[in-house]
Amino acid sequence: MTAFSIIGKSVKRNDLIDKVTGSAKYVADMQFPGLLYGKTLRSNVAHARILRIDASRALALPGVKAVLTHSDVPRVLHAGSPHPRSASLSCDQYILDDKVRFWGESVAVVAATSEEIAEEALGLIQVEYELLPAVFTVEEALRPGAPLVHDLGPGGNQVLDPVTCQRGDVEKGFQEADLILEGDYEGGRPVPAYMEPNVCTCQWDPTGGLTVWISTQTSFMVRGIMAEVLGLPLNKVRVLVDHMGGGFGAKQDLFQTEFLCALLARKTGRPVRMEFTREETFLGGRTRHPARIWLKQGFKKDGTITARQARIVYTSGAYGSHGPGVTNVGTTALASLYRCENIHVVGSCVYTNTPIAGAFRGFGVVQAYYALDIQMDEAAVALGMDPAELKLRNAVREGDVAPSGHPLIGHGLEDCIRRGKEEVGWEALRSRERDEHGPVRRGWGLGCEMHGSSAYPGIKEQGNAIVKMNEDGTVVLFTGTAGLGTGTHTVQAQIVAEEIGVTFESVSVVHGDTDAVPWDIGAFASHTTYMGGRVAQMAAAEVKAQLVARAALQQAVDPSQIEVRDGVVSVKGTDRSVSVREVMMPKRGIPAPQFVGSATYHPTKSYSFAAHFVEVAVDIETGAVKVLQVVPVHEVGKVIHPVAAAGQIEGGIQQGIGHTLYEDFQIDLKTGRSLNPNFVDYKMPLFMDMPTIRTVLLETAPDPGGPWGAKGIGEDPIVAIGPAIANAIYDAIGVRFHHYPIKPEQVLAALQEREGGAQ
Amino acid sequence: MKSFDYFEPHSLEEAVGLQQQGQGRGCWLAGGTDLLVQMKEHVRQPGLVINLKKIRGLDDFHFDSVTGLRLGALVTAREVETSPLAHQHYAGLARACTDFASIQVRNRATVVGNICRASPSADTLPPLLADDASLCIHGPRGTRTVALEGFCTAPGRTILAPDEIVTHVLVPAPAPGTAKVYLKHGRREQMELATVGVAVSLTMSRGRCSRLGIVLGAVAPTPLRVPTAEALLLDEEPTRDRVHAAAAAAAQACQPISDVRASAGYRRQMVEVLTRRALVQALEVLR
Amino acid sequence: MNQVINLTLNGEPRTLMVACHRTLLDTLRLEGGLTGTKKGCDVGECGSCTIIMNGKLVNACLVLAVEANGAEIITIEGIQRSALELHPLQENFIKYGAAQCGFCTPGFIVAAKALLDENPRPTIDEIRFAMAGNICRCTGYTKIVQAVDETAREMQENGREAL
Ligand SMILES: Cc1cc2nc3c(=O)[nH]c(=O)nc-3n(C[C@H](O)[C@H](O)[C@H](O)COP(=O)(O)OP(=O)(O)OC[C@H]3O[C@@H](n4cnc5c(N)ncnc54)[C@H](O)[C@@H]3O)c2cc1C
Ligand code: FES
Ligand code: FES
Repeated sequence: MTAFSIIGKSVKRNDLIDKVTGSAKYVADMQFPGLLYGKTLRSNVAHARILRIDASRALALPGVKAVLTHSDVPRVLHAGSPHPRSASLSCDQYILDDKVRFWGESVAVVAATSEEIAEEALGLIQVEYELLPAVFTVEEALRPGAPLVHDLGPGGNQVLDPVTCQRGDVEKGFQEADLILEGDYEGGRPVPAYMEPNVCTCQWDPTGGLTVWISTQTSFMVRGIMAEVLGLPLNKVRVLVDHMGGGFGAKQDLFQTEFLCALLARKTGRPVRMEFTREETFLGGRTRHPARIWLKQGFKKDGTITARQARIVYTSGAYGSHGPGVTNVGTTALASLYRCENIHVVGSCVYTNTPIAGAFRGFGVVQAYYALDIQMDEAAVALGMDPAELKLRNAVREGDVAPSGHPLIGHGLEDCIRRGKEEVGWEALRSRERDEHGPVRRGWGLGCEMHGSSAYPGIKEQGNAIVKMNEDGTVVLFTGTAGLGTGTHTVQAQIVAEEIGVTFESVSVVHGDTDAVPWDIGAFASHTTYMGGRVAQMAAAEVKAQLVARAALQQAVDPSQIEVRDGVVSVKGTDRSVSVREVMMPKRGIPAPQFVGSATYHPTKSYSFAAHFVEVAVDIETGAVKVLQVVPVHEVGKVIHPVAAAGQIEGGIQQGIGHTLYEDFQIDLKTGRSLNPNFVDYKMPLFMDMPTIRTVLLETAPDPGGPWGAKGIGEDPIVAIGPAIANAIYDAIGVRFHHYPIKPEQVLAALQEREGGAQ
Repeated sequence: MKSFDYFEPHSLEEAVGLQQQGQGRGCWLAGGTDLLVQMKEHVRQPGLVINLKKIRGLDDFHFDSVTGLRLGALVTAREVETSPLAHQHYAGLARACTDFASIQVRNRATVVGNICRASPSADTLPPLLADDASLCIHGPRGTRTVALEGFCTAPGRTILAPDEIVTHVLVPAPAPGTAKVYLKHGRREQMELATVGVAVSLTMSRGRCSRLGIVLGAVAPTPLRVPTAEALLLDEEPTRDRVHAAAAAAAQACQPISDVRASAGYRRQMVEVLTRRALVQALEVLR
Repeated sequence: MNQVINLTLNGEPRTLMVACHRTLLDTLRLEGGLTGTKKGCDVGECGSCTIIMNGKLVNACLVLAVEANGAEIITIEGIQRSALELHPLQENFIKYGAAQCGFCTPGFIVAAKALLDENPRPTIDEIRFAMAGNICRCTGYTKIVQAVDETAREMQENGREAL
């Protein structure tokens, strides 16, 4: 194809008009006659057996319609994130159990005629616990004889058997090294903090069908597991998702609330809504996996990496959720990014009595590449090299084996580093004169990453789409992809319009109704454009073929002579043209056709790349770090909607700055209590804390698996920004941090320690 | 929130009468930015809420170069923030009211409510204390004026009886040659509760420091004035060494705790840095 | 205790029966049928519930409904000029991609409107300062500044009457 008509243009997103006018209906905005409000009683102990629950006083409160405890709900063991095609699941959850495994776990639920009454009722439920010894850290959980969080799984407090990724001979590699670096790295516990608290509404119809309105990234997974646990056929569970207020990965799980909401609705015969409070999004939501990484690498004098050995331990919290996926993806990621022949990496994941870690943008890779990229920076210093040069020299490239086992396509990472160097004038920055006056020191850092689009090979993915053309030439796309805010429905409509050759405005999108749209695995793993976009393109191509055939017949030419563009059908090499509408219209007694295209796509995986160049300012008297500017360079194969793509990058950078410098969900290590489950003390960067961001998008390594080569972008930015900041802090003050979040008082303590050492 | 009865009295007498009828189970409501949060979090569950906003005379905002500043109980942080007079004569207070929550909150939050909440980290308290502010209190036995110093007795506690209302805060007029600074330390630029706050109110005459208030916020159960630090500069030429010594004395005097926001040790170090910076800034203003 | 309140909601006089312990936010959403104003935290920290009350920007979650008796309230539903015509801020939030999931968007647009009412040509720093009480977790804020700045520029060019 020559020039694009729609791809690469920032068309008006089709979901935004509702959002800017306030008319977009999120689940909590929907009114239902007779609606009841459900609320959850959460445990105030971290590990205990429930001896007795007395809900009689709550039930006696006027307005309370039902209370459910573990003895009132089906006891079905299920996975918190039951991806139907996942290779590794941890089946370790009940709807409600007679045990609690973390502070804040659901113990009972109430449905009442108002939120206030439901809340008051919670205070009237008495729970008697038998306390059990608990483990809050990896050390405690792995100690021989440690209390067990579950009596399932491979034993000990392991969520899964350790994952090993090996090639070559690391011992030999280390023997060949001129320099060996070894270090411990640690990632904290940030949370996604989407602005819309988790919410669902359930209603049963007289035929025994259940309708669920829910804020989820994975409506078909919700349907599947709810049907299974509640014993219903799939056609009796209808899941509806229209607008949702962010998810960032975490809204791939079920939060027990969904089942409880359905059961409360069944018991009361009325619609029930359960909406988390902000505090509950911390306690009952999902966090990133805290991680410990031991990493050792060998280098030749010229910077070549001779060996890489690592152990990475993820903390899963009280349930497995995405632990297996995160462990696999994060562990195998350590075998890539920077080339190395001799690799031995072992990843594991451990249960503790803490809130549940789940999927969150960057999925295990944030932690892994934070360690790897910082250690590359350390190696550059030790070798007396420019870190950008060292990273360029070792950057993975065309033909190298990716974490998924595939050969990589193109030179995306090298392109990002080179372009970024030019953008910021890296050479000049490296040799600039340092301003040592006053308390502020400035520094520049580079952080690199790569991230897969799709969860392959961990999940054998499948995308589906149906496209139909109406008799006036307009088009409807049916997709199961959830619109969690990224603009994916616009992007898919652009793809369909471009593929068929009609205008963007003539394509509308039906989504968010499991009874109406084809099955979808969910919106996650940076795959909505790569997989959802590609399959929409495939279905559109089928419609186009039918359109071309009809036009060819009408024009009495060979189909190869027909060209369709911007809603106009023309015959090549002639000035004959008609509109798509005219082609479709009934003619001479021949009715208008119904063109339907459908497609199924089983993608493998592509990799996107990024290099972030970051400038920070460090106040050496207070330890405060401020990010001044970021130049993110991303290689994404093909840019479909530039504004939406840049928006993903800027948003990812906000979250990444947050987890690197500010955000820390803290757990009391004596009791397991959450110390800051609120926005007062869980600090995300706000308007005034954000740097200027100058985004650069590259299309140098398109992947044939995506539409016109397009790859994912959702997760990449949050991975690269962290090490870039840590490396910039080193450049500013010469102090190396191996953990996040890097807090001002740690910066100050490190500076003072160094000074003490120097004296 | 638990249910409660709600009243909007039009006079102080009516307000006090309502509180007495309610046998002290009532709460005064000004901006509500503390009270509503506390009620939602079940920290307080008053039987009645008495809104002060309809009481006449509580919204005055008056400055006189002799008698000083008179702020009524309904004056909001945003009004102080946007007042050129406040910036000119009470720069510390104006800064505290600017580096405070968000515009949305500042449009509701009153300065007097901030005082009466008696939070260790309340932003308006250090600059007001550094300026020797006092409070007018109305109660069943009439009106009294008390020094702000000593008003807060513990976190969330004051000397007020339940049926007493603070009607005004009074701040003396600044002497010529006075500079005021408030520095707040937090992780974010805005929307932060202070991990440390330092207010300095400094008057120079003939090259020497003739009056000085140094007050620390968020490092003791109540805002802490530090006479030991002030003494090192009073009646002296503010040399670099003396400024540093005063800052060190402030750090010595504070009694910080460790919590999720910061450790005690870090808070103490920040007291030293911020006190020094505040003094230096005040001296620069006067230069 | 319940109370009847009279107020002007987006220019329309309304009478509502409210419980004294209900916030204005819950009342707008439940009794007022105005669900554009969102609840992200319920304690003043996120700005999703931002509305204009008697000309002042406030968090509806920190106001009791009874306090709104006699008040004039503008919510996101009252920003549009007419059913068919968007406010320039709304146009530019779309054009510049200043909304993603959209949950924070009503709060931001209302805050931006209050800012431009008060200060028609704010600097970039003034825009950032004025919106410090609104959290967006999706956009990274860059595009929100662009949208507000561009709106201010356009409105100045087209004359204030365009408002
Ligand atoms: C999001 C958010 C951010 C915040 N950020 C900050 C910050 O940065 N710095 C800071 O210092 N505070 C902050 N606060 C706290 C709060 O805004 C202030 O303490 C505010 O000044 C309280 O004033 P108010 O008028 O809202 O008081 P209210 O909530 O109405 O009252 C507070 C207390 O004082 C009592 N009271 C009020 N007026 C009187 C009176 N006239 N006489 C006797 N008693 C009275 C009330 O009964 C109540 O106990 C923040 C609050 C929120 C919600
Ligand atoms: S809901 Fe009111 S500020 Fe968050
Ligand atoms: S657009 Fe999602 S929070 Fe702002």
